[in-house]
Parts: sequence; structure tokens; C-alpha cells
Amino acid sequence: MLQQSVGATAPKVDRPAALRDPILALVHRATFGYTTEEHARARSMGFEGWRDEQLAPDAINDSALDAELASFGSLPLTFAQMLSAYPPSSNGDAVVATELRSARILRAVLSRRQLFERVVEFWTDHFNIDGIGSAQLRYLKSVDDREVIRTHALGRFRDLLGASAKSGAMLVYLDNASNVAGAPNENYARELMELHTLGSDGGYSETDVVEVARCLTGWTIRAVGSGAAGTFRFDANTHDDLSKIVLGVPIPPGGGQQDGETVLDLLASHPNTAARIARKMCVFFLDYEPAQTTVDRVAARFLETDGDLRETLREVLSRASFEEIDVWSAKKLRRPMHMALGAVRSTGASVAAAVGLAGELQLMGHAPFTWAAPNGFPDALGAWGTNLLPRWSFASRLTAGGVPGALLPLSSLSQLFAGVPANRRAAQLDRALTGGRMAPADVTELQAFLDAQPTVDVNVAREAVALALSLPSTQWL
Amino acid sequence: MALSRPLENDMSHEKREAHACAEYWKLSRRGFLGAASGAAATIALPRVAFARGGGTPRPTLVGIFLRGAIDGLSTVVPYGDAGLYTARPNLAVGAPGTTDGAVDLDGYFGLNPNAAALLTPFQANRLAFVHACGSPDPTRSHFDAMRTMETGTPDNPTSTEAAGWLARHLQSVSPSGTGPLRAIAQNDLMPRVLALAPNSLPILDPGNFALAGAPATEASRRAAISDAYARTIEPLRSAASNTLDSISTLEAIDFAGYVPANGAVYPASPFGAVMRNTAALIKAGIDLEVAHYDYGGWDHHNDQGPLTGTLAGMLGDLAAGLEAFYLDMQGMEDRYVLYAKSEFGRRVAENGSAGTDHGSGGIMMVMGNRVQGGQVHGVWPTLDPSQLDNGDVRVETDYRDVVAEILTAGIGGTDLGNVFLGHGTTPLGVVV
Repeated sequence: MLQQSVGATAPKVDRPAALRDPILALVHRATFGYTTEEHARARSMGFEGWRDEQLAPDAINDSALDAELASFGSLPLTFAQMLSAYPPSSNGDAVVATELRSARILRAVLSRRQLFERVVEFWTDHFNIDGIGSAQLRYLKSVDDREVIRTHALGRFRDLLGASAKSGAMLVYLDNASNVAGAPNENYARELMELHTLGSDGGYSETDVVEVARCLTGWTIRAVGSGAAGTFRFDANTHDDLSKIVLGVPIPPGGGQQDGETVLDLLASHPNTAARIARKMCVFFLDYEPAQTTVDRVAARFLETDGDLRETLREVLSRASFEEIDVWSAKKLRRPMHMALGAVRSTGASVAAAVGLAGELQLMGHAPFTWAAPNGFPDALGAWGTNLLPRWSFASRLTAGGVPGALLPLSSLSQLFAGVPANRRAAQLDRALTGGRMAPADVTELQAFLDAQPTVDVNVAREAVALALSLPSTQWL
Repeated sequence: MALSRPLENDMSHEKREAHACAEYWKLSRRGFLGAASGAAATIALPRVAFARGGGTPRPTLVGIFLRGAIDGLSTVVPYGDAGLYTARPNLAVGAPGTTDGAVDLDGYFGLNPNAAALLTPFQANRLAFVHACGSPDPTRSHFDAMRTMETGTPDNPTSTEAAGWLARHLQSVSPSGTGPLRAIAQNDLMPRVLALAPNSLPILDPGNFALAGAPATEASRRAAISDAYARTIEPLRSAASNTLDSISTLEAIDFAGYVPANGAVYPASPFGAVMRNTAALIKAGIDLEVAHYDYGGWDHHNDQGPLTGTLAGMLGDLAAGLEAFYLDMQGMEDRYVLYAKSEFGRRVAENGSAGTDHGSGGIMMVMGNRVQGGQVHGVWPTLDPSQLDNGDVRVETDYRDVVAEILTAGIGGTDLGNVFLGHGTTPLGVVV
């Protein structure tokens, strides 16, 4: 945070150490944005100590965040309870969606379980659901976020996959809820293999798509009217109980619900699934083109731990991975949500309401739960790397107080350069916002901007922070 | 606090930046949407470099990607094919004259009544349909089909080509004028078809494209951003300069006060706004060569609703937007060529959810300069089960052949050898 970077609390990061500092790289990758406070904590705990603490989020006290979230009444409710407390007739579905989006933003900014929030982001995209696609999905995605993604994000992949397969939101979104014997609906079956497990080059055929769809006939949801509305139900009457063959494995007739469970077992334990998840996690946390040795090691860990996602992630975030990938030279673009909420965190802006930030994320094309297609928001340079103006505009609005509900404290701005020699102001900003890892040329640009101002008052400090947050150096993971 | 930096560290930073620049072409291959794989990549550098302003004004290519796969059989309905009613007992649109029946086009095909607004340009011979059209890539994956269609490599699904075919078109022709913006995508993300395109940006709302912040420091902030991004990697480097160069051009266009010509009324929808902005951009004469829009949401596996449901509403929006654009641009048809298409069509047989799954051949729409409108083009393979491709409409017309005519006859000046590498085009007579 800006104010904490001033004086004795600032970590003593010198430039050479920052260049190849694994702890600094870890803090940037495993959080929703650098803060001097988190960096100092990580330095005192050590690389493995801080990482392992973050990998056990249940042991981290997050009561301050919990208090913030307490006002969002829909978060703990079942679908049936939401329908009653937030009825669609009074736009309750929109309230539920707004609460979920706000909670997502507050958790990213405020949670002390920072790595957990990043993992939640990863699996939210992997098992993407259009959370605004319909009134029903607005309710059900909230349940899915709580009971599928957040419950299993660091658990076993098979459990996560199974929970997703039985998630009311997923059953509705990818139409398996209406997949019946005789004329199967292939939508979920296809994406289950293409997106959730094997990958499109993962060795399945069009016949496998149909066979998997047949195995999953009858996997549906309970209708509105009971307390269990919107939850998974197996309907034997609409299940195709004849024999099938999936990926060459015969599935005998009469299996009922077990047909689908067998398919999920096959897919979750398939080596192509391990390889695909490993690569995707390495891309998400490390770089666009991770070293194959790293991917292979992560995939091996996934397989030998029976898909233990906590152990798999521990392997991703290891010193060996950082060295093999040379994360210090990586140019991985932070996606807009990461960039924007990271700016909130690193500047120490207080968030009284998340709705303004949600609007900003919308302008940047990255509002949570709004990606309509099942592949999730892309995580690629070509997709995001040409849309820069919304980033620059956000930086300016945030620092100028133009984002409703997000306030940069005046005190930190006025103290930002207190006691700092005029020719070290940009370096001071660099330390405060990134831990001192901006490219020297960008620091020089920042210093030149400051040098050109007649006086450096609070308003110029705002503009300098905005400029720092607009430069290439602050866009990288 | 160690604030001073030894020179060696500055040098290592410079090397990092330079290294990253050289890596870009490789990076972008795997990085773009993260789908392509494979190590040995041919480098897609721009084939031809032109001085700015060296060309002649060309019609603007308006591309609409109907992502998710529009159901061609419910849009341009082959009511003359009895196979339609066998395969789709619940979903098929009836023949003209029946309740909620199709609007006749040519005695065999008819328009979904929700898309009847398309009759206006069709009957004026400005709008053409191509049926049983699509990609030779046999995949039924949305994302793979989009990738090979947009990179123009459907014969070679494992190709690691990163540039889109529209990007290669722009690389192969001299700019249409001196304007800063050759292509715009009215979306948050750059579509792959424009990946690596010169002077191109995704701009969600061209009527709201300005640098925020205090006016007093704008010039110096702008200079710092410009200098800093000039040293970073692609595509950020070009995007930053294109962005800064385009702000004043777009600010000079009065999008909010734009009055469509000929009484055209755009639908009050995102698509309506896009088409309205597109007309304003073309009329502003800023040398825009491509206006692209990703129009998603056509993947109707469930409760498709071709007559009263989801598809009906979307077809109404699509048709109203295209009709308004046609009317607004009436008399200026030589200023644009428009196409709309999907990654593939939908399965002939309906599923048990009153929807349709992924198919193969579908429809393409083409409107504007030198389009042979008022016709449904292409060979119709029929929906007889013996003629289907694994249950789907067989692709009789390669989308690349339609695009080739658009680029050569409709736009002009392209180098097809660069646009569709290694594809020998077949003349169709859709655009002549």
C-alpha cells in the first residue's frame, strides 16, 4: 500500500535482488495484486512457508472479509431459498447476481486467502458458466460458486468434476438437464471432454461424444417447488440403459447413474486430462509457454496424487518451476480483472462498495461470471493485448476518485513522496506498487513526468500513480 | 535503501525487452486464445510492407461472426426438401402459406418469418444467401472450428498459423488511405480473424474513446505512455500507438448525434448499435477497411424456438439490424461489402431437448457492392439421409471461395495467395 511503503515498514528490496527474487515473483503470481504488506509477510515466512500457508486457506483467519460479506444475504442460500427471499418477480435474480459479483470483487481485494482466490478464478474459467444468461442461471451460478468451485478448488479433481457434473447451473447451462434417452443432447458431453478434461486433441471421437451423452441421459435437476429445487437428480425413466462404449471401454447395460460416474472416473484419471490441466495451470500462474519439463512434472504430480489439486498447485508454484520457466523474464499479461483489482490492492484504495469496480470491469470486458461461451475468459496475449485504453482510463479514474465506492486515501497520496528526494520519486512509486520490479525505462518515464511538473502536490501524485499503473511494467503478471 | 542502480542491471532489463520482442511471433502463436499447439511454427510476418496512404479507397468489409453456429435450416428454410420435415418433426419452419410458414424466396427456400426484414435487401438484389456453405474442417468443436476458419487453415487443423485471414488480407494490400485505423472490432477482444492485423483495434464503443485523467497533464502522460509502449512487446506496442493515434479521429465523429439516412431505424440492441456505428464510421470517410463484430449466442441445443423462442428473437434482431444498415447505406452500396457466417451449421435431426447439436454445412449472408443478390447460391445436397455428412448438411461451398470473391470482386486489390495459403479458389458468382 502506498502509505505503508513510506518509511521503516517498506521492505528493503534492492534492484538486483528484485530481478530474480522468487518471493517477489511468487507474491505477484499468487495474489490478486502486490502489496508491500503481503510482500513483507512472505519475506519473513520464506518462499515455501508463505506458499504453504496460502495452500491451506482454511487455517487462515478471514473474519474481516467475512464481516464485509455478511451483508450479501443471498450468498449462503440454496436455489429454493433464493427463489423465496429474492423472487424473480421483484428482480431478485439481478440482486443475487450483483451480490455474487460484488462478493467476488471484495474477496479478490480483501481476502487474506489470496492464492485461494486466484485458484477460484482459474476453476471458474475452466468450468465456466454464463452467470447472467438467464434468471435461473443467476441464481444457480451463486450456488455453483459456493458448492462446486469454492468447495473443491484445492480438493481432488474427480470431486470437482463430479460436483460440476451435478451442479444445477452446469446442468442447465450446458443442457444436460434435458438430455434424454433416444435423442440425446450432446452439449455437455462434448464440452466435458473438450473443455473440462481431455481437450479437443485428447483422443476422443464424435462417436464418443454421442456415447458419453447417452451415459449421462437422465442426469437432471429437481424442479421448482421443493426445498431441493435445482439440485441434482438421476431420472432412471429418461436414462438410456443399453450398453455403450466410451474411449474403447465397454459400459454394460443396466448401469443407471453409474454409467455417468464411470465416464467421470475415466476422464478424471486420463493422462491427457492431467497433461492438459497441468499446462493450463502453468500458463495461468507462470507464463504463456511454460517449459515442457515443468508441465510434465506438474502432470506427473497430478497423476501420482490421484488429482490432488493442492499438491498439483504446490508443484506449479515451486522454485524449480520458476527457474525452468525463468518467470523473471516472462511477459505474461495480467487480465483486466487482475490488473484493476491489483491496482486497488497495491494503492491501498479502500472499497466501500464493489459496484463501481464491477462497472469498470465491465468496461474492460472482464466482469466476473459474464463470459457466455463454455471455454471461459481467454488467458492469452493476443486476446487481451490490444485493448489498452480501458486499462489506462481505469487507472486515471481510480486515482482521481472517479470509481464509485473505491477511494484512494488522501493521506497516503500526500505522504507518498514525503522525505523522498525529488529524483527518487519514481523509484519510490515503483517500490510501493510492484516491489521494485518495473523496467528501468518505465521508471525513467515516470521520473521525467514528475520532473516536468511545476510542483508535486496531491493531484500530481494522483496522476503519477495513474501513469505508473498505465505503463507496460504494471501490466505483467 | 539501495536506490541507485548499477548500469549492468539496466542492460539486463534492455536485453529482457529485446528478447521478448523477438519472442513475440512465437509467443503469439501459442498465446492467442491459448488453443494452438505444436512446436514447429512457420513465422507469419507481414508479407508485404506498404507506405501509409499509398493505396486507393476501397469499400469497407463488414464482417459479422455469428458465434455458436446459427441454424441455417431454420433461417433460410429448404421447405421444398421433404427431408426437413422428417428430421425435424417439432422444429421445422413450415412451407409458405402454412401457419407461421416461411416467406418464400425462390420456390424452394424461404425465410424464417422472424427474419422477414431481410426481404428488403434481398428483393432489391443486394443480399445473397449461400447455403450448404462452411468449412472443410470436419471438427464439431466450436473453438477448433473457429480457430481454423479464422486463421484460414481448415485443410490443416494442426497448423500453428497465428494470423487471421483478414489480417493477412490487410497485410497484403496497401492502406486504403491515410487514416490511423484500418480495422476495428466492436468488441472487448480482438477476434482471431484479425490477429496480427496492422493498424487494428478492438473498440467496444467507438463513440466513447478518450484518454481519461486531468487535461493539464494529458500531453505529458500521453508522451510517457507512447514512449514506454514503444519499447515493449507486440501486440501491446502497436496497440498503444494505434490507440493514441485513433483517439482524435474517432472523437471527431458524432456517434451520439448520428442520424441514419432514408428513415432507417436500427434496433435498440447491441447489434443495432454496432451496425449504426458501422454506418457512421463508413460515412465519416476515415479510410476504415474492416469493421468486424462478434455476435455470440447462436448455440441453441435446447428450446431453440425458431418461431417464438430464443432463435426467433435473435433472428429478428439480426434481420432488423441488417435491414436498417442496408437502408441507411442505400445508394452507397459501393462503399461496403458485408458478410455474416458461423463456424459451422447445426445437425439436421433435432435432439430430445427441442434443440439441435453441432453440425456442418450452414448459411452465409453477403450484402453490398457487386453482390449478386436476390438468390440462394450454392449446390443443395438435399437432406436425404444418404446425402448427409454423418447426420449433417454436407459442405458444398467452401467459405473461403465466398470470401475470395468478396475480397477480389467486392473489395479489390488483395493477394489471395497470402489470404488463404495454398487454397485454389472455385468461382461461384456470388460477388462478381
